[in-house]
Amino acid sequence: MKETISRNLRIKKTLKHNLQTYSFLLPNLILFTACSLYPVVWTLKYVFYQYGGYGTGKPIFVGIANLARVFRDKVYWESVLHTFTYGFGKVLIIIPLAFFLAFLLNQQKRGNGVTQSIMFLPTIMSSAVMGLVFYLLFNAYNGEVNKYLLESGIISRPVNWLGKDHAMKTLILTAVWGGVGNYMVYFIAGIQQISEDAIESARIDGAGKLQTIWYIIVPMLGPILKIIMMLAITSAFNDITNVMVLTEGGPNNATMVMSLYGYRYFFPISAAEATVPQYGYGAAVSVVSAAIAGVVTVIYLKVSKKLDDIY
Amino acid sequence: MTEAYAQNKKMKKVHLSDKARAALISKWVFLGIMIVFTLYPVIYTVLGSVKTNAELTQGGGFFPSVWHFENYYKAFIQADFTKYTLNSVVVSISVTILAVTTTSLAGFAMARKDFAGKKILLALYMSMMFVSLGSVTLYPIYELLRALKINKTIFALVIALTGGQATNVFLVMGFTKGIPKELDEAAIIDGCSIYGVYSRIILPLSKPILAVVALFSFRNAWNDYITSLIMTISIPKLQTLTVAVVQLKYSVNSAAEWHIMLAGASIAIIPILIVYMFSNKQFIAGLTAGAVKG
Repeated sequence: MKETISRNLRIKKTLKHNLQTYSFLLPNLILFTACSLYPVVWTLKYVFYQYGGYGTGKPIFVGIANLARVFRDKVYWESVLHTFTYGFGKVLIIIPLAFFLAFLLNQQKRGNGVTQSIMFLPTIMSSAVMGLVFYLLFNAYNGEVNKYLLESGIISRPVNWLGKDHAMKTLILTAVWGGVGNYMVYFIAGIQQISEDAIESARIDGAGKLQTIWYIIVPMLGPILKIIMMLAITSAFNDITNVMVLTEGGPNNATMVMSLYGYRYFFPISAAEATVPQYGYGAAVSVVSAAIAGVVTVIYLKVSKKLDDIY
Repeated sequence: MTEAYAQNKKMKKVHLSDKARAALISKWVFLGIMIVFTLYPVIYTVLGSVKTNAELTQGGGFFPSVWHFENYYKAFIQADFTKYTLNSVVVSISVTILAVTTTSLAGFAMARKDFAGKKILLALYMSMMFVSLGSVTLYPIYELLRALKINKTIFALVIALTGGQATNVFLVMGFTKGIPKELDEAAIIDGCSIYGVYSRIILPLSKPILAVVALFSFRNAWNDYITSLIMTISIPKLQTLTVAVVQLKYSVNSAAEWHIMLAGASIAIIPILIVYMFSNKQFIAGLTAGAVKG
C-alpha cells in the first residue's frame, strides 16, 4: 500500500518534471517542428508525387518517376557542374586570401583592428542588396567597372561582365567580396590558438616568414583548417541569393546552380519570369542536390583524414 | 670595443628596420588594395544615392557634382520606402526577440534537464543542422501557415524568418553547460523553483551568448531576401526593404532609376552599418563563438 503510494508519487514527480521541462522547450519546439522538421518531411514525401500546388487538384503518386527524370535532366546536371565550378572557384580564391589576410592582421598592431573590421564589413550586408549594386557596377554599357577599365586602357571595348563568357567569373568575384572577411576571422581565431612559443622558437632557429607559415602555422592550423574548408564548401553549395539577384542563373543558364534550379520549380526566379510550379519534381531536384552536397562533404572528410595520416 | 659593439648593434638595427620597413610597406600596399576592393561597392552605393541618373549611367565623377538628397525623398515618399523601412524594423526586432527567448529557454532545458525523449530530440536537432534542402522548404512552410490562416499577416514572415534555430539552440546549450552547476544547486537549496533558477541564475549569466544570438538574428532578418520575398508574395504591402529594393530592378523604367535603386540600397545598408560601427567587435567575436564552440 505504502509502496504504491510512493510509486505513484514518484511517477507524478517525473511527470511534473517532464511537463516543466517541456514548457521550456515548447516555444522553440513549435518553431523547429514547423520550420525545420515538417518542411523536410514534406519534401521527402513529395519526391514521389506529381503536384501542381494549392487548388490544382490532388497530388498523384508517381513512384520514382520524378527521381528518374532528375537523372535524365541535362539542364540539371549542367547546373550541378556550374555549382562545382562556382564552389571550387570561390573556395580556391577565398581560402588562401583569407588565410593571408589573417596572417597579416592577427597581431595586435596599429591599423590591424580597423582593417579587420573593414574586411569583415561585407558579411554584415545583405547579399541581395549588394547583388543589385554589383548588377549596376558590372553593367556592360553604363557600369563603373567598364568605365574605369576603358579609361585606364586595360580594355578597349566594353566587356559584357554578365554575359555568358564572364558571368560565372563575375559571380565568383562578388562571392569572394562577400565572404573573405568571414573566413579571415575564422583563420585569425585559429592562428591565435597556436602558441607564440612555437612561432618564436622557429624564428630563433632561423626560419624566415614564409618558412614559418609553411612549416609551423599551416600544419598547426590543420584541424581548424579542415573545419574552415568544410564550412566554405558546404556554404558554397547553398549560395542562392547572390546568384538570383545578380545573374538570375542566366544568361541562358550559364550561372544556373543547383540550389536555384530546384527553387525555380517552386517559385519564379525573377518577377519577369512566369513558371508553372512543379512541386514534386522540384522536391526531387532538391533532395538529389542535398545528396550530392552530402557526398561531396563525406569525400572531403575522407580525403582530409587520409592527408592527416600521411603527415 | 664597447663602442664598436654599440655601433655594430646600431648598424644592424638600421639594416633590420630597412627590411622591416619594406615588409611593412608591401603589407600595407596589399592591404590597401584589399580595402579599396572591399569598400568601393559600399562607397559607390552611398555616393551614387545622391547622384543623378545621368551621372550614374553616362559617366560622371567619383563624387556627385551636386548632392541630390531629394533622391531619398523620392525613395521614401514616391517609392513608398517609409512603409518598407517600418516593415523591416518591426520584422527584424520581432525575429530577434523571438529567437532570443525561444533559444534561451530551450538551451537551458537541454543543458540542465533530463527529460523523456531527450536523446531523440537532440539527434533531430543535430540532423537538421546538416540536412540542407535550401529555399524550397519555404513552400511547405508557406502552405502550413496558410492552413493556419496566418499567411497574410506579418506573423508568417516573422515565424518563417526565425526558423527552427537548431544551431542557436546548440550554441546556447553549450554556453549554459559552462555555467557551474553549483549555482543552480545553491539556488534550489535557497528555495528557487526551476523557473527561478532559469530567470535568476541562468538568464543573467548567459547574456553574452544571447547577445550573439540577437546580433546575428537581427542581421539575418534585416538582410534576408528570399524568405521575405516569398512570405510577402501575395501581400506586397508587407514587403521588407531588401525585397522592395531588389524589385526596383524589375520595374518598368528601371534603366532610368539607378539613383533611386542606390538610394533604396543605402536605406537598406546604412542602419546595419551603424549597428556594425558600434558592435563590430561583438560581431567578430560572436562569429568565432558560433564556429568554434557551436
